Amino acid sequence: MNGIHDLGGRHGMGPIDIDPEQPIFHADWERRMFGMFILAFAGGHFNIDQFRAAIEKMKPAEYLESDYYEHWLYSLETWCKANGSLTDEEIENRMRKLSKGAV
Amino acid sequence: MSKAHEHDNRSDISLRVKAVESLLIEKGLLDPAAIDKLVDAYEHKIGPHNGARVVARAWSDPSYKQRLLKDGTAAIAELGFTGIQGEDMVVVENTSGVHNMVVCTLCSCYPWPTLGLPPNWYKAAPYRSRAVIDPRGVIEEFGLKIPESTEVRVWDSNAELRYLVLPERPAGTEGLDEAALAKLVTRDSMIGVGLPLSPDRGTE
Amino acid sequence: MPTMFAAAGVDDLIKTGGSCRVNADIKAHFVPGDKIVARNINPVSHTRLPQYVRGKHGTVERDHGVFVFPDTNAVLKGERPQHVYSVMFTARELWGPQAPEKDKVYIDLWDDYMDPAG
Repeated sequence: MNGIHDLGGRHGMGPIDIDPEQPIFHADWERRMFGMFILAFAGGHFNIDQFRAAIEKMKPAEYLESDYYEHWLYSLETWCKANGSLTDEEIENRMRKLSKGAV
Repeated sequence: MSKAHEHDNRSDISLRVKAVESLLIEKGLLDPAAIDKLVDAYEHKIGPHNGARVVARAWSDPSYKQRLLKDGTAAIAELGFTGIQGEDMVVVENTSGVHNMVVCTLCSCYPWPTLGLPPNWYKAAPYRSRAVIDPRGVIEEFGLKIPESTEVRVWDSNAELRYLVLPERPAGTEGLDEAALAKLVTRDSMIGVGLPLSPDRGTE
Repeated sequence: MPTMFAAAGVDDLIKTGGSCRVNADIKAHFVPGDKIVARNINPVSHTRLPQYVRGKHGTVERDHGVFVFPDTNAVLKGERPQHVYSVMFTARELWGPQAPEKDKVYIDLWDDYMDPAG
């Protein structure tokens, strides 16, 4: 699709943030998300093309402004919801429980 | 985005990832120990030091270099660097007349077994958009000026081939063994936004 | 249905990966040296043919072999294995006469992304 991800040749995307000391993972959630994607792929939730196709359906502004691994979460959720492994309601309930320290 | 909104998003995303992970574990779909193993491998073991060894071998052994340029996958496998996001490798050589640079304009494809995980800038919109249309400008932002007489080749990794740049061997390195040569090979020189270190000063 | 991938399999998974190469005897439609034009396709579904290449003229440099076709694989319409080629486009072809004369962009194109050019 002619989505925002198709970036080759566009102008106006801003300066390159070289950040030479950057760590491989900036936060623990990135570590967990990285591992989850690979395992979900290996476990047959999606093929690599399906994985990328889902990311391409993010809202353009969100795609550009979010952290990289948020793209992976979006795609993982897309496929888990499609195959019935997860629902939005479950995720939100769990988030509420976790933020209350209940789990 | 306001700072407050940014903070909300940051703590939100962390919470959401925790939620998703805990749900998948409970449903028997995810093994958290497997995540730990993967993270350990890519945070502590797999990295550009692998690619540096490939480059150092190519610099030291002309017949290895030939094999590397002809069939990158097989030659890199000789050193044991195989696997996820490196299953099909192409190595492109810098010469006095040609400078190579690698990008993935559509997402973030990068040769993990030889370079580890990509830096954020490689995966973000500024690099991905500009690398194909203004490679010289991009390389200059990294501190390197490519002469007009040099041909710049940009490789867009849009399929499942993964690309590695074989930088030119720096002058004054005759007599250095592979281990010493490998120390001069930077990650950025294997992406094509920099050159290897020079031996005398330890700087480019 | 998806399954759980266990920790015990991780080391092997990392070393083996998952190549998209297909071991099939599929005819190549192009050879190195061929002049091609990238198709002007604009699917609403997944493709790996970027907009900046569509309708542009290039030269086939190398045949990488046979791979899964992402456009169909992404929507579970089959692997449709076909040849993938490294194709060279001059910077001026892509970006106009102001681009540096010597510079080039190489991109990997599947058979289905290309037509022969004169």
